[in-house]
Amino acid sequence: MTTTPDTLTANDNYFEAFEPGQVFRHARGRTITEMDNVLITLQVMNTAQGHFNEHRMASSPFGQRINFGGITASFIIGLASQDTAEQALLEMGLDKIRFTNPVFHGDTLYAFSEVLAVDDAPREDAGVITFRHIGINQDDKVVFTGERRVMLKRRSHWGRA
Amino acid sequence: MIDVQALKAKASDWPKGNGLDDMTVGQLFEHHWGRTLSQEDNTRFSTMTLHFNPLYFNTEYARAHDHESVVINPMLVFLTVFGLSVEALSESGGAFLGVEKLTFEGTVYPGDTLTARSKVISLRDSDSRPDGGIATWHTEGFNQRGERVIEFHRTNLIAKRLEGK
Repeated sequence: MTTTPDTLTANDNYFEAFEPGQVFRHARGRTITEMDNVLITLQVMNTAQGHFNEHRMASSPFGQRINFGGITASFIIGLASQDTAEQALLEMGLDKIRFTNPVFHGDTLYAFSEVLAVDDAPREDAGVITFRHIGINQDDKVVFTGERRVMLKRRSHWGRA
Repeated sequence: MIDVQALKAKASDWPKGNGLDDMTVGQLFEHHWGRTLSQEDNTRFSTMTLHFNPLYFNTEYARAHDHESVVINPMLVFLTVFGLSVEALSESGGAFLGVEKLTFEGTVYPGDTLTARSKVISLRDSDSRPDGGIATWHTEGFNQRGERVIEFHRTNLIAKRLEGK
């Protein structure tokens, strides 16, 4: 069997699939575990012990360790990625990232995406989408909002016939 | 037998980080350590966060898109540069409030080494926490050739003064 790039990804999430105003609920949720928070926090050498010292955090107003916000951002963008990044050639940037509620071990996160803008790219086989991603927890509390610009392949150049 | 109470009484603290009162607007922090990112870091991070773009975990797919190897997931670049900055900037604790104007400026590959630096942009008191303040920094990440690969502005609540410092 030989595979070409276009058979490894979906055919319904190229640049042309998106128009301003669309809102998507992404299919999967993700429960944040102690392993996720401790592993990724220290993988990237974030030395803030509020993320990995349970003894200290037990006497804090939170009463327990809190998830590193960078991980919350990565999970919400990750949960949105099969739909909004599978065809990405380039992640261009993020903006207006906000963490509106803390995330704790055992919380389950879900992701939504809104299309804010659709623009041409400097190359003709791609276009640039601006998304707003929203992350909520199991209690419908918003834990993350942020905008993301990404350059997606055009189906006209890269998709299956 | 070690007398733990005597040990605690004798030991001097070796505090980490800076409080708001240790910072001045315009001050530049060159961050410690640096970090070489491996393909293992990248694959695990991408799959654990469900970041399903094959550029980050399928070498043949990446080669078909004009890369010599897989690409390091930009979110891992962001978190690594952020992580390197934490001791100097925000280890004193407090809420991570937000990030503005983050730009991914260059592609990072396995084996590349990231370093980071930050400049203090603004410092102000917190209405909700008299012992804390709100700081904004401009953080930049570079590869081993000195090329900037990311920049962003981060705002955090931090302690005014560090315990034991």
